[in-house]
Amino acid sequence: MNFIKKIIPMKDFTLKSLLTFEKTPLNMFMFIVTIALLAAFGWGVGQYLVHSHHAYNVTREHPWGLLIAMYIFFVVSSTGLCIVGSLGDVFGFKDYMAMSKRAILGSIVTILAGFAVIAFEIGHPVTMLIYNVLSPGLTSAIWWMGTLYGLYLTFMIIEFIFLMRNDMKNARIFGLTGLLVGLAAHSNLGGVFGFLNARIISNGVFYPTYFILTAFITGIYLTYLMYGFRYKLQFPEEIKKGLYGLAKIQALLLAILMFFETWKFLTAIYGGMPGRADTAEHILHSGAFLYGEVLCGMLIPFTIMLLTKWQSLKLYVFTSFIGMIGIYFMRYDLVHDTQVKPLQMMKTTEYQLPPEWIEYFPSAAEIAIGFGAIGIFFMLYYFGQKMFDLEGGDH
Amino acid sequence: MARYGMALDYKNCINCKACEVACKEENGVELGAEKHRIWVGGNNPDGQWPLLDIASAAFLPSQCQHCDDAPCQEVCPTHATYYDENGVVRVDADKCILCSYCMNACPYDARYVDDRTMTVDKCTFCSDTRLARGETTTACQNTCPTKVRTFGDLDDPESEISELLRTREHFSLKSHLGTNPKLFYLT
Repeated sequence: MNFIKKIIPMKDFTLKSLLTFEKTPLNMFMFIVTIALLAAFGWGVGQYLVHSHHAYNVTREHPWGLLIAMYIFFVVSSTGLCIVGSLGDVFGFKDYMAMSKRAILGSIVTILAGFAVIAFEIGHPVTMLIYNVLSPGLTSAIWWMGTLYGLYLTFMIIEFIFLMRNDMKNARIFGLTGLLVGLAAHSNLGGVFGFLNARIISNGVFYPTYFILTAFITGIYLTYLMYGFRYKLQFPEEIKKGLYGLAKIQALLLAILMFFETWKFLTAIYGGMPGRADTAEHILHSGAFLYGEVLCGMLIPFTIMLLTKWQSLKLYVFTSFIGMIGIYFMRYDLVHDTQVKPLQMMKTTEYQLPPEWIEYFPSAAEIAIGFGAIGIFFMLYYFGQKMFDLEGGDH
Repeated sequence: MARYGMALDYKNCINCKACEVACKEENGVELGAEKHRIWVGGNNPDGQWPLLDIASAAFLPSQCQHCDDAPCQEVCPTHATYYDENGVVRVDADKCILCSYCMNACPYDARYVDDRTMTVDKCTFCSDTRLARGETTTACQNTCPTKVRTFGDLDDPESEISELLRTREHFSLKSHLGTNPKLFYLT
């Protein structure tokens, strides 16, 4: 342990101190939620190990399901927290300096939760590790995304080590490198969808840029949630300044997002291009898009921020919770909507109607693993808080 | 070395599905409606009873198009999908990680998961079975009662398929996507 402490400064802790916490109602609630989510994750993994991909409701026509959406949810969160963390230690904005340590820890644990999800979605994760190196598919966005995310995690960990050592020069170097690699990885994740010529609703430049934009938005939502929980809504002054600034940035980003979304749908529907216009109209009629993405993810947070003139930090913590529900629906919808239009429009068996729209609802195992991974995030973040001194850093 | 392709005189198709059965039998494809390498698509006739347009109820046999520029090959992160020496798009099951990206990228819905190997499977033009035994036809072609399918080497000007493509009008599916399919539908 002393050897590790020489590399990365840690608080003094024992196993007992790691597992004890103040028994406030909120802490107890979070404890129960975390245990329940971890149990769900364990059960889901058990189902997967017994039944393989049959435990999932993915099909030939809809091969990507909730687990892909949750993987994206976590890695988007990670990239967003990395961007927020970089505002202070990479770009030198003083108001955000105090947030860097917590945000970078958050970015590390969210991506680990994402990797935990994708490990049970990819059919052969060990084969992936081997042939990703031995036989790299350089024309594949998934190869670039996966490889760059691996590098990104490495840089984030190194940056975090330097932050904990208060070595700001090296933290800045690795932070900037990690940020650039993270942005490249994340836009490649958008490219995974954007490169799909077969899926014209997703094909194009929109997703690679949209992913970066929504990552920043997600990072700000999560920063509010993390600090709201940390300080029980009684924010200290050095944090307040940063949070006020983030609220203004968030309102601007949400306005840009709504502008982007509006034009995405206008251009998709205009002209009535088969396969694109009808799919866009189908999406516009779905509750997940209207109530999830638009209302929770964009309109409610934006309206609240606008009406309160970016001054109600406590309210924004609750707003951010609603916003994160919206972000979840954005991830789920982008995966589902990409596949909602059948590629094969003729009927292939008798007594069947020609396919119209692909239906999908996640199985219990998918829900357990996907949402259970939030428990992994909670657990790792809790241990991170216990083990590392995340306060200060305004140097 | 050849460049294999297939011409389909699809208007002759009677939807007997013998090709689907022969494919499953010859290549050991799993049972189940979702597990198929080839299929026959059908339209319901246009119009309302009794004024039905019977001619509109065409059948369209289909399968992997063995594209010259296959999106499934481009997106594969481990090169599990590859072109063999005869231009046939194949899957190396040892390298497949089941990320399912190819299933999403294929515009023809030609790929499915083989539950025995938990890897993605697809039509191979019977490369592992009939062609490996030295035969020159695929199972689907061999069994077709109305001779819809003609399989052969597109680079051989003397082959039957080259002759057909020289003398008959034909089209390819979703050719606007730039995939350069090697399945040709004769009109």
